[in-house]
Amino acid sequence: MAAPLVLVVLAAVTVRAALYRSSLAVFIAERVEVASPLNAWKRVVEGLALLDLGVSPYSGAIFHETPLVIYLFHFLIEYAELVFMITDVLTAVALYLAIQDFNKVVFKKQKFLIELDKYAPDVAELIQTPMEMHYIPLKVALFYLLNPYTVMSCVAKSTCAINNSVIAFFILATIKGSAFLSAVFLALATYQSLYPLTLFAPALLYLLQRQFIPIKLKSKSFWLYTMQYASLYLCSLVVIICLSFFLLNSWDFIPSVYGFILSVPDLTPNIGLFWYFFAEMFEHFSLFFVCVFQINVFFYTIPLAIKLKEHPVFFMFVQLAIISIFKSYPTVGDVALYMAFLPVWSHLYRFLRNIFILSCVLIFCSFLFPVLWHLWIYAGSANSNFYYAITLTFNIGQILLVSDYFYAFLRREYYLTHGLHLTRQDGTEAMLVLK
Amino acid sequence: CCGPALAGGLQDQAEQFFRSGHTNNWAVLVCTSRFWFNYRHVANTLSVYRSVKRLGIPDSHIVLMLADDMACNPRNPKPATVFSHKNMELNVYGDDVEVDYRSYEVTVENFLRVLTGRIPPSTPRSKRLLSDDRSNILIYMTGHGGNGFLKFQDSEEITNVELADAFEQMWQKRRYNELLFIIDTCQGASMYERFYSPNIMALASSQVGEDSLSHQPDLAIGVHLMDRYTFYVLEFLEEIHPASQTNMNDLFQVCPKSLCVSTPGHRTDLFQRDPQNVLITDFFGSVRKVEITTETVSLDRDVAGFESKFPEEELATEPLKYAEQLPVAQIIHQKPKQKDWHPPGGFILGLWALIIMVFFKTYGIKHMKHVF
Repeated sequence: MAAPLVLVVLAAVTVRAALYRSSLAVFIAERVEVASPLNAWKRVVEGLALLDLGVSPYSGAIFHETPLVIYLFHFLIEYAELVFMITDVLTAVALYLAIQDFNKVVFKKQKFLIELDKYAPDVAELIQTPMEMHYIPLKVALFYLLNPYTVMSCVAKSTCAINNSVIAFFILATIKGSAFLSAVFLALATYQSLYPLTLFAPALLYLLQRQFIPIKLKSKSFWLYTMQYASLYLCSLVVIICLSFFLLNSWDFIPSVYGFILSVPDLTPNIGLFWYFFAEMFEHFSLFFVCVFQINVFFYTIPLAIKLKEHPVFFMFVQLAIISIFKSYPTVGDVALYMAFLPVWSHLYRFLRNIFILSCVLIFCSFLFPVLWHLWIYAGSANSNFYYAITLTFNIGQILLVSDYFYAFLRREYYLTHGLHLTRQDGTEAMLVLK
Repeated sequence: CCGPALAGGLQDQAEQFFRSGHTNNWAVLVCTSRFWFNYRHVANTLSVYRSVKRLGIPDSHIVLMLADDMACNPRNPKPATVFSHKNMELNVYGDDVEVDYRSYEVTVENFLRVLTGRIPPSTPRSKRLLSDDRSNILIYMTGHGGNGFLKFQDSEEITNVELADAFEQMWQKRRYNELLFIIDTCQGASMYERFYSPNIMALASSQVGEDSLSHQPDLAIGVHLMDRYTFYVLEFLEEIHPASQTNMNDLFQVCPKSLCVSTPGHRTDLFQRDPQNVLITDFFGSVRKVEITTETVSLDRDVAGFESKFPEEELATEPLKYAEQLPVAQIIHQKPKQKDWHPPGGFILGLWALIIMVFFKTYGIKHMKHVF
């Protein structure tokens, strides 16, 4: 599997290098869908320039990156393009290795459940075979590297690539089973952009499953392990934050990074849901609505944890999707990350109901974004409502994607245990509905 | 036969040349109210215009801003006239009135642009205040005002702060030598409270809290023709001729409370010369100092040294030469300071120690022998 992966990597690197040299690079770099106030490259350069002038980069509302990013780019700023290409490659390789391991886990579990006779007798066609699962890791790497969203994000040199790679390493560490590394990478991911905090639950569930600790609220080993993992995570987070303090000898970065993410002061349009609302809102209500919107991101963790406790990796996928839909400054780089996971659930294809509509919606909206932006800002014949409409449609498409996969997954699980031909009590054919 | 006495007299006369330090005169006369019942404000402004022109300031040096046209107003029973005395004794309109800013062109923005000189290049010459640092400028404003503001055209206001800043801009750009500011509105003294630039003398028709009242209504025309203060100022100015030696102190006495009902005020603390030595014609007239003599006058340093007679108070700016305004030599030869920021050593150490610790925790201590 190494050779095709190398080939894919080479192809991806070529595409990115070609785009860097072309004139499209400037055009892409200034698109708001790709570069948000949180991860635009222009702001990184500005922050480092301020630092060279002896001013803290967090003074003023330009720079919202963490001190570790300052440290990284202080030495690597001339090789920025290389850095981003390498980051993308590392992400893809991490995802490749993670999904390889995950396939093994899935296959092992499936075998275990078959031997325990937990599956209904007529579900042979639903069971995943190693043959069809063989190419999934390669497809995942392919999906990530050659996704136009990722390519644009890389060409724009948006630090979303760094976020994605940290999350990818976290997923790799979790699936490999190393609680320590997983906690460290999760702390790094949270430190970088705060929302991966919600990935704590799926990671914990996965690690518990791997250690064969049953998830019962009364079980002592459950709480022990949870406490261990949580303390590892919190300690590493605290250590990283304190270390960041020593970079600039000030706590300025906390309001600039986390305060900025949580209170959403910058209302530049992006593909998210926050900007339009807060542009229209009265000051009086903005605190309330900021809280409501932010809770919306964290809110789905517990219900999903309860429902998907047997399937933590799918939970992680859904959680990633929810983060990238509801976060305060999403970009297409975030979308690319969870879309890379879609080949893993390719066996759900027969249960997906809206795949045509939502792929059409996503593709059309991606094309309409620059069109309506041009109409609004340059031609002046549209206004922000038009652009927000496309944003809304895009997000609806994403939500539809997530909910469709969710439904398909649960439906398959149900079929696996209850058989493919469901009948109601009176014998007529039944249909599963997601309520 | 002439001898030293005449030489002494000539010396005095030569000295007089340098008394005031200005070489040209300008006037900016503004009437800020429109509508027929504000006839008196237009009449005020035109009276001052008439006096100023009579005393020698040419139209090219007068910026006259009238917010409304009273002479050709449909309600004017005597068209093409604006009277300032009852019984129609004095028509201040006449044939040779040149109004530079008329009707809706009289706005706060245009007024400030005229003062500061920030005028679009397309403005005709007659609408510009082309003063220099040897100009004495008379600024006369009339209309409806309040505590700290003057109303323009019934729709906007200019505040005393804006006015003071505009004058400061004029001072910084060397657009005047000395400025005389006269205002005839209610609570007019509030408008000169905020001045902070040097060489400004200000007069107002009423103090803060008092109203300036109008003089006489004319039953034929149907409106009040003039305001009291300007009426008495006009009477005073009618007696001035280009050679008169009347000084500012006399102008301060015009219109006492018995005649004006309000208390006129004046402000001279920013003015360098003693008002006693300031001739009315220094501001209201354009007196060319021309004296013909066949004697030679030796100008020793004393004559031109009148500046030393004046108290050296700290001014907002001392007499600057343009070349010294900025430390040019310093700026040109300044090298850009290269301040490279480096992350502190403690941070780098801490970070890499952590990374190494994580590495060894995951992969076990037994790999250390491969490293070392």
